Amino acid sequence: MFRHGSRFLTRATTTMKWRRPFSTDLPAESVADSNFIEAWRKVVPNVEPPKTPSAFMAARPATPSSIPSKLTVNFVLPYSSELSGKEVDMVIIPATTGQMGVLPGHVATIAELKPGVLSVHEGNDVTKYFVSGGFAFVHANSFADIIAVEAVPLDRIDANLVQKGLAEFTQKLGTASTDVEKAEAQIGVDVHSALNAALTG
Amino acid sequence: MASNAAAPFWRAAGMTYITYSNLCANLVRNCLKEPYKTEALNREKVHYSISKWVDGKPQKPTIRSDTPED
Amino acid sequence: MAMAALRREGRRFATPLISPNPTNALRSSLIPSQEPVSSGVRCISTQVVRNRMKSVKNIQKITKAMKMVAASKLRAIQTKTENSRGLWQPFTALLGDTPSVDVKKNVIVTISSDKGLCGGINSTSVKISRAIHKLNSGPEKENKYVVLGEKAKAQLLRDSKKDIELIMTELQKNPLNYTQVSVIADDILKNVEFDALRIVYNKFQSVVAFLPTMSTVLSPEVVEREAEAGGKLGELDSYEVEGAETKAEVLQNLAEFQFSCVMFNAVLENACSEQGARMSAMDSSSRNAGDMLDRLTLTYNRTRQASITTELIEIISGASALEG
Repeated sequence: MFRHGSRFLTRATTTMKWRRPFSTDLPAESVADSNFIEAWRKVVPNVEPPKTPSAFMAARPATPSSIPSKLTVNFVLPYSSELSGKEVDMVIIPATTGQMGVLPGHVATIAELKPGVLSVHEGNDVTKYFVSGGFAFVHANSFADIIAVEAVPLDRIDANLVQKGLAEFTQKLGTASTDVEKAEAQIGVDVHSALNAALTG
Repeated sequence: MASNAAAPFWRAAGMTYITYSNLCANLVRNCLKEPYKTEALNREKVHYSISKWVDGKPQKPTIRSDTPED
Repeated sequence: MAMAALRREGRRFATPLISPNPTNALRSSLIPSQEPVSSGVRCISTQVVRNRMKSVKNIQKITKAMKMVAASKLRAIQTKTENSRGLWQPFTALLGDTPSVDVKKNVIVTISSDKGLCGGINSTSVKISRAIHKLNSGPEKENKYVVLGEKAKAQLLRDSKKDIELIMTELQKNPLNYTQVSVIADDILKNVEFDALRIVYNKFQSVVAFLPTMSTVLSPEVVEREAEAGGKLGELDSYEVEGAETKAEVLQNLAEFQFSCVMFNAVLENACSEQGARMSAMDSSSRNAGDMLDRLTLTYNRTRQASITTELIEIISGASALEG
């Protein structure tokens, strides 16, 4: 019945072009792991090997010999892709070690993010987001991937709530007894002071 | 800032990076202006049931939920 | 499947209803009152067909409604899935795609749905998971299952009870979101020891095409080992690490974060496939019901026509007997 129909169609569509491509989905043909496919066919010959993520992703370009003039940025959140393959002049990333400016040709880096302001510079335009935490990867080919759990434009933050939260958590930090409570209060203070700094600074 | 301290304090308290980043995100969501705040908070609701298995036998399932059973 | 049974039922009715033979009577236990012989046969058979038509019509109504529900759910979840697709790509760009990595402790995370009537996506997940289990088994190797969703649980219980570590269900009570999935990922990390996590799910391609997919997430130790050994992860060493004191610490955080991000996309893709599959399944069921209804209507009309003709003949021959 339908089960077989779908299997047939699955096979058909892999050879066809995507019928309806997703905006974030890049039509890349298999750079699949040949060792894996071979091993799979040996052990379970009657089941098609599953796809692996690289089959759904365009290969990133190799590092160019000269430094490009623009930085390609992917800025993603779980519920949206804020920037996808956008070319900008510079981004400033709130790494745990301090604000980090990334220009084209930046050395390859893995940076952990702390709560703070991420700004994207594009000509004279500066877009500022407050990110709660996540990771940023800067690749040698002037690609930057920024992944955050939550990011909001600065103007959506309520300054009164920030002050209130800061006071509340500072007080909690004083009264916390267990390790977990202390850590939670500490995180609260960190986040709220970062929010505060972002709004005032 | 305290997060520059040696081993991250939150891991010392038994949290994973996931817990830590979720806590941070949630605090940020709590400081949003309306209507963004309600929208963001309503989006992120947790509910599921988990049961651990030991030697092929299920243990009692626990339910993790933000919204209390009604 | 229920629909297949229904169709069989329909075919049985389409075949000679007018001349009830004993074998037929034995088989169709669903027909309530079986022929009290002679006179009543005709009206009973039309009665039965009419009842049958009514029930088929009701089933069609239900499957149509289910299709509409699935379609509207699909729309909502498809947008979310599209939006979440950016999330795992940076990790694959950085840490590579390593399905063939050879490690001791494999944990297979099988993602399935809680509800059925959605085609073959759950059996596909289970089939692939079993194959991965087979592929990675060997002396001194350990394979464990973490199961999401009732359907894969039911199938894996049959033969892999011993290897099940965790089962999670009732995921979709609220609309799926990152916090939900990351808390699940957190629970998995806390309860299971692993060298490599293999996440099996159906990637949504279109309403009729779902690609079984396996994503691999390595533990920080394995990432480091592989990076030192060169190969696919060899480039990782060229990256400068900003953040915590040691590289191991950052890798630990990174692996955890990667797992929750990959899981989030996987769960969404699978949920999206589920709705898509349900939609197509319900669509074909409604169509089947429609076909069956047509056949039944034909039988019904034919029977009715036959009985009218017979009655007419009786009347005419009676009248002509009187005249003569």
